[in-house]
Amino acid sequence: MKSIVLSSVVTALIVFSGCNSKQPAVDTQEQTTTKPAVQEVETVATETVSPENSMVNGSENGNMSISEIESKLPTVYFDFDKYEIKPAMQEKIDAAAEIGKDAAQDLKVRLEGNCDEWGSDEYNFALGLKRADAVKKALVADGVDAGRISMVSYGKSNPVCTDHTKECWAKNRRVDFKVLP
Amino acid sequence: MKIIVTLFLFINIVFASDATIEVIKKAESLPSMAIEDASVSYSDTFKLRFFKALVADMNVISLFNVDRHYRYTHYDLDDVLVENKDKDYVLRYKMSEDDGAILNIDVKLLQHKQEVFSKHYSVKKRDIYMFVSHAIAYDINQFMGEPSVAWMKKKVIFSRLIAPKKTEIVISDYTLSYQHTIIKGGFNIFPKWADAKQNAFYYTSLDGFKPTLKYVDVKKGSIENIISSDGMIVCSDVSEDGKKLLLTMALDGQPDIYTYDTKTKTYKRETFYKGIDVNGQFFQDNKIVFISSRLGYPNVFSKSLDTDEVEQMVYYGKSNSSCSVHGKYIVYEARESSNAFSKNTFNLHLISTESDFIRRLTAVGMNEFPRFSDDGDAILFIKNYKQQSAIGIIRLNYNKNYLFPLKSGRIQSMDW
Repeated sequence: MKSIVLSSVVTALIVFSGCNSKQPAVDTQEQTTTKPAVQEVETVATETVSPENSMVNGSENGNMSISEIESKLPTVYFDFDKYEIKPAMQEKIDAAAEIGKDAAQDLKVRLEGNCDEWGSDEYNFALGLKRADAVKKALVADGVDAGRISMVSYGKSNPVCTDHTKECWAKNRRVDFKVLP
Repeated sequence: MKIIVTLFLFINIVFASDATIEVIKKAESLPSMAIEDASVSYSDTFKLRFFKALVADMNVISLFNVDRHYRYTHYDLDDVLVENKDKDYVLRYKMSEDDGAILNIDVKLLQHKQEVFSKHYSVKKRDIYMFVSHAIAYDINQFMGEPSVAWMKKKVIFSRLIAPKKTEIVISDYTLSYQHTIIKGGFNIFPKWADAKQNAFYYTSLDGFKPTLKYVDVKKGSIENIISSDGMIVCSDVSEDGKKLLLTMALDGQPDIYTYDTKTKTYKRETFYKGIDVNGQFFQDNKIVFISSRLGYPNVFSKSLDTDEVEQMVYYGKSNSSCSVHGKYIVYEARESSNAFSKNTFNLHLISTESDFIRRLTAVGMNEFPRFSDDGDAILFIKNYKQQSAIGIIRLNYNKNYLFPLKSGRIQSMDW
């Protein structure tokens, strides 16, 4: 009986420790409450990891590959109030297009446009969308089928960084790739 | 001399009613007012809460220099309190709770100790006490013979960002004292009242496959899908009769302004610029004012709904990314420095289509989302300053701004 109880405890520990390792988002939030000033930046991890977690909860193998593909796709950054692709970012998009035509050829991608905190939110939603549209056009020019690409804009409602610094604003002026089955 | 007099008269006639240059009253010349509590029910905490609400409202009507000291007296006492004997006006009120938990409030206004106005108010629930306070201020303003402040009684609807991609849609009074969360959970933004009665509203939901405009009937509690668009969809304005909407949609990934007929459920594309066109506002007869990036930065333009002719409306400001329109006036948000990352701020400015004057309406912080009241008497806006969001009220004719902070979250957008 004792051994059954013990093995149950051990199993539970393994299961729960396994769960914990798949949920860094929870750890990050706990840290944020203790050191708010420093931990603001760590919301980057929260934003990028959480959607992956939700995918892992589905069927293991297929979603893991989506998660792996997504981790190889870049974040495309933009200048203040601009939606033109910078040369350095064009190289990243070219590499993403290769993945799109190879490993991810059966998958769809959603481009999520985002902005910094400057300007009105309605204008920023449009700016975020133009950024997503610029990335879409670049991917299509690289040979990715336009029908596999959808777009959404979050304006300034989805920041990865909430400090009021140049570096932080630059991190928020971005387009994220989300791979969809 | 005659010429000078004529010129003076001409200037007076031309500009007398131009809010871009005229401020009616100066604070120092306002009559003094004290407020006396004579309540017979409720806790000291609730008494003080009501007193504070009334002080705020009496300040906002901008007719008195209001004494903020809380003092208690008896309602039927003939004399005012000794501390208030030199005040021009004393506003005395008595709150009493009856058997049905109804909040009754009796109010009288004393001018140099003589009663000049009195009224009785009652509401079923005491937690909507702030609406009684607004009604008292509305009535006192009317008694004083000033232009209506009916906007005080209107409800504000706003979207509050509580975490990245998580919002709540909240209905409140104009001071944010009363707040009722009407849509919880999800990512729902840009709420807009569907008509003047404020019984229904539109909002954008970003939870589905495509951004979708939804319509909520508050009384029935029903939600209806109106139209979806890839990329983005925002209801920027509703016509006075509620029959037409101005939407920003991006059906082909290109944000442009569309008119939408709520009866026929059809839409028409109104702008065709390859950059950004957003924030359409109905303007005068058959025109719209909107924000466009066609100069390489956001600025205010107008367009007839019958032709493609576009006119630049604003010539001041480096980045003018939102606006609101009432009659001949346009209030817009402007960044005044070319350095995007200095301590510069976004301030609100007022222009008239009939003069070249520009009036700056705010001084510090990031001021955005200006919205005229129906009668053009006041402008509601969002101020973000030092990590806090607040709703602001600008009394145009009195050159005064009042701020009501939001305790948590950040206001994403709002309508009045």
